[in-house]
Amino acid sequence: MDDRPLTADRKSPSTVRRPSSGYLKAILAIAWKDLASELRSRELLSAMLVFALLVILIFNFALELDVATRGAVTSGVLWVTFAFAGTLGLNRSMAIEKDRGCLDGLLLAPVDRSAIYFGKFLSNLAFMFIVEAIVLPVYSVLYNVNLFNPGLLLVILLGSVGYVAVGTLLSSMAVQTRTRDVLLPILLFPVAVPVLVAAVKASSGFLQGLAFAEIAPYVNQLIVYDVIFIAVAFMVFDYVVEE
Amino acid sequence: MEPTPDTIAYMIAGYTVFAVVMAIYLASLAVRFRRLRRDLSLLDGIETK
Amino acid sequence: MKPQPLVLKILNIVSALLLAGAFAMAMWYAPVEKVMGAVQKVFYFHVAVAWVGMLGFLAAAVAGIIYLRTRDLKWDIVEVAAVEISLVFFLIAIALGSIWARPAWGTYWTWEPRLTTAAILEMIYIALLLLRQSLEEPEKRARFSAVYTLVGSISVPITFLSIRFSRTIHPVVIGPGGSADTGMMPEMLATMFVSLAVFSVIFVTLFWHRIRLGQMAEKVEQARLKAMQ
Repeated sequence: MDDRPLTADRKSPSTVRRPSSGYLKAILAIAWKDLASELRSRELLSAMLVFALLVILIFNFALELDVATRGAVTSGVLWVTFAFAGTLGLNRSMAIEKDRGCLDGLLLAPVDRSAIYFGKFLSNLAFMFIVEAIVLPVYSVLYNVNLFNPGLLLVILLGSVGYVAVGTLLSSMAVQTRTRDVLLPILLFPVAVPVLVAAVKASSGFLQGLAFAEIAPYVNQLIVYDVIFIAVAFMVFDYVVEE
Repeated sequence: MEPTPDTIAYMIAGYTVFAVVMAIYLASLAVRFRRLRRDLSLLDGIETK
Repeated sequence: MKPQPLVLKILNIVSALLLAGAFAMAMWYAPVEKVMGAVQKVFYFHVAVAWVGMLGFLAAAVAGIIYLRTRDLKWDIVEVAAVEISLVFFLIAIALGSIWARPAWGTYWTWEPRLTTAAILEMIYIALLLLRQSLEEPEKRARFSAVYTLVGSISVPITFLSIRFSRTIHPVVIGPGGSADTGMMPEMLATMFVSLAVFSVIFVTLFWHRIRLGQMAEKVEQARLKAMQ
């Protein structure tokens, strides 16, 4: 990728800024491109899904998920599953870009670099949501727990947003290194601890039917984390993809 | 009033750990310095040839 | 490489003497704590390395930001120097804390906010070193590690806050509810502040050496490229 012939795009992103409707369109176009190609190949989603179900299966044996322990560990098991399946998806979705040379193409496109970030963020988030939408009912059926709790769904939404926000940024870094796939979880997990802690606590609060006042601090934390890390990623993404 | 417990072994362990970790780090710095110095003189030798 | 400047040579000796002084002060000037016994003397070095290590990570984040602004590789050398020494200091802080915790709390480790955050902090900066290892281009390596240092230094305080909701058993030494009820005698406080100052000097000395090492590595790299041509 160092022999890329064109250097016309090395100007600072502000000089190539398009009208905001174009910016939004670019984001959606990138996200749509990912979703459309995924609809055809289904390689990423199927891998994430099978992996997620296997993780749940392993937890079943590892933790002896009987009725008594289930209540206490459900939220933990769910979030570990989402986090693991999430890294798998994040890694793959960036690796595809890189291997097919799409990333270089995208970087040449006359859009603000951050549009690429938000496009990838949206498609990664969509994959995560699809996996979650399948894992939740399966888990409910397998373990006879009712997971259709609006509070829990809100937490899953907020937690996934934060996780994917950092994950998209870090995976675009990891994919450009020598160790690639191995590096993403190592980079991502320690930084994502606050999302996971807050998400697990809030989820188990909702599952145990605690009063909202007791869960609110964790939900607030998730919102704060989401806002901060989307902002940070927006500011530094340029440095990660520049050539 | 309870008598002060005898925890001197832990204290010795603590300062030993401190000394060992510091010594390892200093040694690693020294080793890396030596290697770089060797590489540098080697490369200088190639250049002057 | 130029020989060590005189100031650095003096700093070497001063650091060693100061370390010996701080050690002597902790041993023989500070009184033995009545409840915990001699192990409490570990605390002076523990607090000092933890604080200085923390400042080191902060310095690394600042150096990273300056790198992204100036694109001058010397800031990358500064950043990695700060990270490396802080990692060593933090490792010592965690080890000393565990040794102190064993007789005081009855366990080497507990998932208490400060300990957990310290462990995660250590993991983040180890991950940073791994990231650097798998990048060869100096410019890209500098850019990525600056970004990751920034992300890490924002995440660490949030991590601390997110775990703090659970009850803490870690003593608060400075700040509200501090020295008055931890029963620190004036000699103990004096020893603590002296250790803090001493470890700041030691940090500066190590930092200087590590920066020189980084500069030398860069020089070797350039010489190697030149020799290959």
